[in-house]
Amino acid sequence: MNTEQKFSDEFLNAFVDEQLSLEERQQVYACLAKDEALNRQVCELRKLHGLVRLAYEQPPVPPQGLTSFATRRRLGLGLAAGLALVIGGVTGWFLHQAPVPQSTAVAQATPDAQDPAKVLFHVSDGHPEHLRNALDEVESLMQYYRKSHQKARVEVVANGDGLNLLLSGISPYAERVRRMQEEYPGLKFVACQNTIDRIQHEVGLNVKLLPGVEVIDSGVAQIMRRQHEGWAYIQV
Amino acid sequence: MRKFVSLAMMALLTLGINLGTAYAGDYGKQKVVYHINVDDPKVLKAALGNIQNHINAVGKDNIDLRVVMHGPGIALLQIANKDADFADKISNLKRQGVHFNVCNNTLVSKKINYKNDLYDVSKDDIVPSGVAEIAHLESQGFSYVKP
Repeated sequence: MNTEQKFSDEFLNAFVDEQLSLEERQQVYACLAKDEALNRQVCELRKLHGLVRLAYEQPPVPPQGLTSFATRRRLGLGLAAGLALVIGGVTGWFLHQAPVPQSTAVAQATPDAQDPAKVLFHVSDGHPEHLRNALDEVESLMQYYRKSHQKARVEVVANGDGLNLLLSGISPYAERVRRMQEEYPGLKFVACQNTIDRIQHEVGLNVKLLPGVEVIDSGVAQIMRRQHEGWAYIQV
Repeated sequence: MRKFVSLAMMALLTLGINLGTAYAGDYGKQKVVYHINVDDPKVLKAALGNIQNHINAVGKDNIDLRVVMHGPGIALLQIANKDADFADKISNLKRQGVHFNVCNNTLVSKKINYKNDLYDVSKDDIVPSGVAEIAHLESQGFSYVKP
């Protein structure tokens, strides 16, 4: 099914922004159930909107209705483009006049010995061998920190297919996850709500997580937040 | 009025040209860690290409680039030990200041002799834990890249 023909980008944006009428929404939901490409497109849009919301503390006031949404957006785009041109031009002028010094020392937030190490592991691949590797890496890091008496906060964030790791009845390593939770107090396993919603919708499966697993709104948003807070990011 | 408009247009055009020249390849200083934990030769070869392109874009004097290998990623230096093309690429990157660091946990668990089994590794290239090294580098302001 060709989603491009069925719904315009603007329409889908409005859907994600919850700007559509009940009837229109039902129309989208009906197609979402059948159309995987559309599903993915909406998922990507949701992610994007989530990131935009995250970037602006004060979200822009949502416009009323779909038609005004479209026109205002066009007007806004024009204004933004004009503004960008002016700012860019002026910046370009100044940069040209006085080149930025090459040797700007990078400000280093060196944690002192008492500060815990903060590491986020991102798991998005659900292959059992991959999951085992991921757990091996997490565990070897926890052991390293324990051996070197370094306090640590470590989060394993699972989204997409990686969520398999934390699903009760599906995870091949449920017992190992339980043991690691017990053994390392600084270690947390975290599941992405967006992925849970998607599985529940697509498969009609009632998702059950392993005990002690925390849930956050969006895995991607969590990764952004933690990096903003100075956590190291490692994809496994 | 017409004169004003054309003046404004000209001003915009000149500013636009300035914009283009000011940004060309000007990335300032960078600190980057490349994380390698896969053994697929295609991925590894592409990674070496990525690193070279990265250096070309930033300039070798402007970048502190570390490659950290652990787990299956150690294959990079095992392959280079037998494959002249890989070896050349790695030596070439080293000449441009790239460090290749190897995880000691991996050497122990895979029973690897770094002198015989790996390409051009000295004691100083070995770090206690690859993952801990990456986390540490990130806390020191290094950006993380996973090819």
